[in-house]
Amino acid sequence: MDFQDRVFRTVFFGASVLSAGVTVAVLGFMILLSLPVLKMGFLWEVLTSPWSPGRGQFGILPMMAGTLALAFLSLLVSLPVSLGCAFFMEILHPRGAGALLKKLVHFMTAVPTVIYGFVGVFLLVPLVQEFFAYGSGMCILSASLMLGLVISPTLILFFSESFSRVPQHYLNAVDSLGGTVFQKLRHVILPQAWPGMLTGMVLAFGRAMGDTLIALMISGNAVLMPSSLLDSTRTLTAHIALIFAADFDSTEFKILFISGIVLYAMTSLGILFARYFHKRALS
Amino acid sequence: MTRSVPDRLLSFFSWACALSLISALFIIIGFLVLKGYKALTPELIFGDVRPLDALLLKRQVFGGLFPAMAGTFFLILLSMALALPLGLASGIYLAEFAPSGTKRVLSFLFDILSGIPSIVVGLFGFSITIFLHHYFGGRIFPCLLISALSLAFLVLPYIIRTTQIALESLPLSLRLTAPALGATKARNIFYVLLPSSLSGIISGLILAMGRCAEDTAVIMLTGAVATAGIPKSVFSGFEALPFYIYYMASEYSGPPELMKAYGAALILLILCTVLFVFSHGIKHLLRAKTQYLPNPL
Amino acid sequence: MKKNIQIRMDHLWFHYHDRVVLEDIRIEIEKNAITAISGPSGQGKSSFLMVLNRLWENIPGARVTGRVEMDFGKGFEDIHRSSLPVHRLRQRVGMVFQTPNPLPMSIYKNIAFPLTLMGEKDRAKIAFRVEAALKKAYLWDEVKDRLAENAETLSGGQQQRLCMARALAAEPTVLLLDEPTSSLDEASVRVIEDLLLELKKSCTIILVSHYMDQIQRIADHCLVLSDRRLRPDTAKGRDI
Repeated sequence: MDFQDRVFRTVFFGASVLSAGVTVAVLGFMILLSLPVLKMGFLWEVLTSPWSPGRGQFGILPMMAGTLALAFLSLLVSLPVSLGCAFFMEILHPRGAGALLKKLVHFMTAVPTVIYGFVGVFLLVPLVQEFFAYGSGMCILSASLMLGLVISPTLILFFSESFSRVPQHYLNAVDSLGGTVFQKLRHVILPQAWPGMLTGMVLAFGRAMGDTLIALMISGNAVLMPSSLLDSTRTLTAHIALIFAADFDSTEFKILFISGIVLYAMTSLGILFARYFHKRALS
Repeated sequence: MTRSVPDRLLSFFSWACALSLISALFIIIGFLVLKGYKALTPELIFGDVRPLDALLLKRQVFGGLFPAMAGTFFLILLSMALALPLGLASGIYLAEFAPSGTKRVLSFLFDILSGIPSIVVGLFGFSITIFLHHYFGGRIFPCLLISALSLAFLVLPYIIRTTQIALESLPLSLRLTAPALGATKARNIFYVLLPSSLSGIISGLILAMGRCAEDTAVIMLTGAVATAGIPKSVFSGFEALPFYIYYMASEYSGPPELMKAYGAALILLILCTVLFVFSHGIKHLLRAKTQYLPNPL
Repeated sequence: MKKNIQIRMDHLWFHYHDRVVLEDIRIEIEKNAITAISGPSGQGKSSFLMVLNRLWENIPGARVTGRVEMDFGKGFEDIHRSSLPVHRLRQRVGMVFQTPNPLPMSIYKNIAFPLTLMGEKDRAKIAFRVEAALKKAYLWDEVKDRLAENAETLSGGQQQRLCMARALAAEPTVLLLDEPTSSLDEASVRVIEDLLLELKKSCTIILVSHYMDQIQRIADHCLVLSDRRLRPDTAKGRDI
C-alpha cells in the first residue's frame, strides 16, 4: 500500500476508534460516577424498592415500571395504525396517495419531539381531562397516545421497507394463481416480512423507552407504580431530568447514574435484538 | 365493486389508519398555526429592539426570542463542527478500509451509540463537566461547548451511517474506474467516491442538523438555561428554542408568555421543516439524475 | 375457420408510459390447442400474456385498451368487465413464468396453495388434487417422498414442473406459459413438451417461445409478434 494511503487509513482508523470509544465512555463514566452508591452495596435495593428520599429509600423500581408501561402502551397504540399505513403505501396504493403518505411520514420524523409534547400539554391533556373528568389529564393515557404518534414513523418506515423487500416473483406467483390482496398479505407478505417488522418494533420500543420529553411533559411525573391508564407516572428519563436539579453530592443525584445505566442497558438490549432480527430479515 | 370481503375490510382499515395518522399530524400543525400565527411578528423575535441593532449585537434583546434562536444556531454550528470530521472519517473507514472483523465490532458499537437515549447522552455530557470541573479547579460549568459536544455524540452515529451507506451504495464500475487508471486508494476516495456520494452525505448531514436543532433532553442537562442572552463565549450558558418551548410549557406566567411559547414552537417547526425540505430536495436531485425507466417487458 | 374459439381479442392496444407495445391486435385463439407466440425479444410477448390474466395491472405505467373476451363454458365474457373480480379470472387463466417461482414453503404447500386461495378446507380433497396435479406434471415420482421439503431445494427443471403443477391444481381453463423451458436443460425441456401435449386435452395453452424447433414440435398454431403487431406465421403452412 502506498504511503499516503497508509497515513489516511491510520487517521480514519483513529477517528473510528475515538467514535466507538464514546459508546464505551458513556457507560464507563456512569459506572464510575455511581461507584459510591454501588460500593454502599445497595444496588439490589435501588432496583427493587420504591422512591421515597424522605425515608431514605432511593429505589427506581416505579420509574422502571413507568418506562416499560409507557413504552409498551405507546407501541400498542402505534402498532395497528402503523400496520394500516404501511399496507396503504406499499400494497394498496404504492403510487399516488401512498407516495404522498410516505412523504408525510418522513416529514413526521423531522418534527421536533418538544412540539409533540407542547401540543400534548395544551391540546391533548385538556381533552383527556374533560373526557374522563378525572385528575389533571396528565396521565399514562395521554402520554402513550402522544408517544405512540411519535414512534409511528419508525414503525411505518420499517414495515414498509420489509414489505417492499418481499421478492416480486413471490407476489407474481400469488397474483397469477388468483390470490386476493388479503391472501397475498396473509400467506406471503407477512410471513416473509416478519423478521424485518420485528426489527422495527424493537427499535420503536427502544425509542419509546428513550424518549424524555413526552413523558416529562405529559405523564404527570408522580412516582407511582402504574396501575391505571388515568394515573400519573414517571419514567426513568423524566426522573433523570427532574432530579437533575438536586444537590450534586446527595444520594438522589448519584442514583441518577444508576438510572442512566439501566436505560443504557435496556436500549442496548433492544439494539441487540434488533440486530439479530435484522440479520434474519436479510438472510 | 367485486372484491372479496377481506379485501374490502383491508382497504377500509388501511384508509382509516392513513387518514387518522394524517389528521393527527394536521391537527398538531394546525393547532400550532391557529394559536400561534398572531405571535409571529418582529417583536416576537427582537422585543423592542430594532432588528438590525439586534443582529449587529449593538443592543441586547430582552423579551424576544432572538437569544434563543442565536443559541440554537450556535449550537448547531458548533456540534456539527465537532461531529463532522469524526463522523466522516469513521464512515469512510467503515466503508473503504475496515477489515470485516473490525467492521463488525465498530458497527456494533455505533449501533449501540445510536440507541442511547438522549437524556443519557446528556448525563454523560454532564459527567464530563464534573470531571473537567475537578480538573480545571472549578472553572468549567455546563455551557455551550459541553452541550455542543454532547449533541455531537448524539448525531455521530447518524453521520457515520449515512456516510458509510452513501459510499457503499456506489456502483462497482464507478469504484474501479480511477484505480484502473492508476489512482491510489486515497485519491480514489477524495476525487471520485466522495464527490459522487456527496448528495447522500449532505442530505444525511442536514438531517443531523435537524436533530441538533430539536433535541431538548441533552441540552437541559448540559447548560441550556431560561435566560442567558446571546452566549458570550463557548463557556457560557445559553438559551435555545426547544428548551424555551419546554420550559414555557410548564412555567409560563400568563397569556403573553404563552403566546411567545406558541411563536417559538412555530419558529422551531418552520426551521425543522426547512431543513427537512432541503435534505429531501438534495436526495431527490441525486435520484432524478440517475433515474431511468425500468423495462419489465 | 376454427370451430372452437376460446379467446377473442379486438382493437387491443398496450401502452407502456408513452410507448406503444401492442398495436390494434385482433385475433382469435382456438380451444384445446397450443398456440405459440414467437418473435424478436423485447417486443412485448410477455406483455401479451399479461393482458390475458390482467397481470399488467401490476406494472406501473402500463395501460391496456380494447376488448378481450374468453369462453369459460357460458359463452364469451369480457375479462375487463367490472363484475368479474380479477382473482377469479386468474384462477381460470393460469400462468407459468420464464424463471420458476416456487413460494418459500414446502412442495406440498406450494401445490395446495391455489386450493387454499380458493378457500378449500377439505384436507382429503386437497391431498387428492395435489397428488393429481403432481402426477399430471410428471413430478409425483420424484417428489412423493419429500413433500414436506422446501420447494426451493428442487432442481431448476423440477421447480418449473412444480410451478406447472401448481398452476394446474387450480384446474385452469387457459394456461399461459412464458418461455417455460428457456432456463432448463435438454432432458427437462422434453419432459415439459410432452406434458404440454398431454395438457392440451383439458386446457387451452398459449406458449411464448423463441425456439422454432420447439414450436414445430408441439404448436398447433403460431403467431409472430413484430413491430407491435401480432400476425399468423405464414411460413408455417398449417396455420390460420
